[in-house]
Amino acid sequence: MRRIVATLLLALLPLLAAAQEGAAKDRVSIVLNWFPEAEHGGYYAALVHGYYAEAGLDVEILPGGVDVPVLPMVATGRVQFGVDNADQLLLARTQQAPVVAVMAPMQVSPRCILVHESSGIQSFEQLENMTLGMSAKAAFSEWLLKRYPLAKVKIVPYPGNVSQFLVDKNYGCQGYNISEPIVARRQGATPRVLMVSDTGYNPYTSLLITSEKLAAEKPDVVRRMTEASIKGWRKYIEDPARTNAFINKLNPQMEMYILDEGAKLLVDMVLDEAAKRDGLGSMTAERWSTLVSQLEEIGLLKPGSVPAESAYTTEFLPAAK
Amino acid sequence: MDAIGRAFRALFPPLLLFAAVVAVWHIEVQRRGIGAFLVPGPLLVAETLWEKREALLKATALTGAAALAGFAASLVTGVLVALLFSQSRAVRRAGYPYAIFLQTVPIVAVAPLIVLWFGAEFQSVVIISFIISLFPIVTNATEGLMNVDESLVELFELHSATRAQVLLRLRLPHAVPDIVTGARVSSGLSVIGAIVGEFSAGYGNQNFGLGYLIVQTSGLLQTPYLFAAVFMSTLLGLTIFGIVGSAGDWSTRRWRGTR
Repeated sequence: MRRIVATLLLALLPLLAAAQEGAAKDRVSIVLNWFPEAEHGGYYAALVHGYYAEAGLDVEILPGGVDVPVLPMVATGRVQFGVDNADQLLLARTQQAPVVAVMAPMQVSPRCILVHESSGIQSFEQLENMTLGMSAKAAFSEWLLKRYPLAKVKIVPYPGNVSQFLVDKNYGCQGYNISEPIVARRQGATPRVLMVSDTGYNPYTSLLITSEKLAAEKPDVVRRMTEASIKGWRKYIEDPARTNAFINKLNPQMEMYILDEGAKLLVDMVLDEAAKRDGLGSMTAERWSTLVSQLEEIGLLKPGSVPAESAYTTEFLPAAK
Repeated sequence: MDAIGRAFRALFPPLLLFAAVVAVWHIEVQRRGIGAFLVPGPLLVAETLWEKREALLKATALTGAAALAGFAASLVTGVLVALLFSQSRAVRRAGYPYAIFLQTVPIVAVAPLIVLWFGAEFQSVVIISFIISLFPIVTNATEGLMNVDESLVELFELHSATRAQVLLRLRLPHAVPDIVTGARVSSGLSVIGAIVGEFSAGYGNQNFGLGYLIVQTSGLLQTPYLFAAVFMSTLLGLTIFGIVGSAGDWSTRRWRGTR
């Protein structure tokens, strides 16, 4: 009898240990700035391949959507982490939201404008006599409006898909190069992609962002989160298959062909020269201050209101090799 | 002097309440150190109102024009539809469910479609404002046209009045207070309709209404500017409500003597 009890207890031991291990995991959530797509791939990869779990983190990824206030949610501590772009982060900071970027997976912004190849338009200077579907609520729109003549260009809100683009030869619209052009091509259109990053406006994209409070109080959690996310991004650009299947299940509108092609394009956008030199996810003071002065130039930031160095920290990044 | 005294008595309570709310708002934002991205203080909002006055006034004028056009169209159409409804039970039975249908249409969902059909222009915004404002006028006007004392109708018939005379001399004057009630409700809705319309329509490069500003400032996390735009929207709503109210009082007096 005693032996049975002992055996039972022995059998239960690993379970107990497992339970304890589970309890020791830090629960954090991370909210995305859009529906799950390829630009969030690395974070999902870290989840799917268990890198977060290995780092002792129990991570819940909250899909975003239209008008999800990512940065206010992070700033108020409602979620621990958020994913958003560098320009949004600076705009939030100028409104006293205490949020900081800790890792920049996408060195090149995927933001682009699609025009029909038949329009003959090859550069932003040539955008004229057309309708342009472009969101009013994005800083890059202001940049383009202030920077380029856009003669007789009628700006209309971007409807969120390429349907209008497909039917109107005289229409261009915004997009991410890893999504909209791929869809438009599949639907039989021949879009030309004008990358906004080529104009010099190139905010870091899909940044991992946390609050100043969490960074100060739980640096260990932030560090593990950052390292596991970087591992996820590396995996995603090498082998996105499982992650893409997962994203597709969460967001069936993102069909597999879009995700697969998108992930291929992402390789060079994640591992550009700077990332090859400084490591995946790295950020430089120069890039941040360039963006600050650009936003000041177009009047979205009051000069001097947000010091570039306050917006990010590299202390959680693994030391450069 | 008496008029000034009356105006003072009418305005004093709401102004006092306004001042109290602003004071509490200011003190709480200060005391709790709430960031502007969450709740901007009243001073910051006032500052933004002043700083962006040009853009705000231009946007308010444009939205106001669209709302007034939508409202005017709904007033005319609504009364005409009600006149039609009052003339035949069959028409009323056939048409009334669709009037209700109009009210239950989720305008936010339909707005992008209307923009797709009619273009991202001023007229789409007017159409959306029109759709949302129409229902209260149709129902109230129909109600007013139908609820006429039967003995009065008999009196008219006794004097061998024609159908048109009964309609224009009896039913319509009788319905004026109801039409005014419907118009009051619609005046507020017309502003909401115009703003929702602008969410999807925009208006193009340099001309933009309050709806566009609201979308833009919320997206760019410019919360003080967003508050300022919402403030202008409510001011616009109040103004249109006031105009419609005064016009309503005047026409009620004119059509029905006193009320």
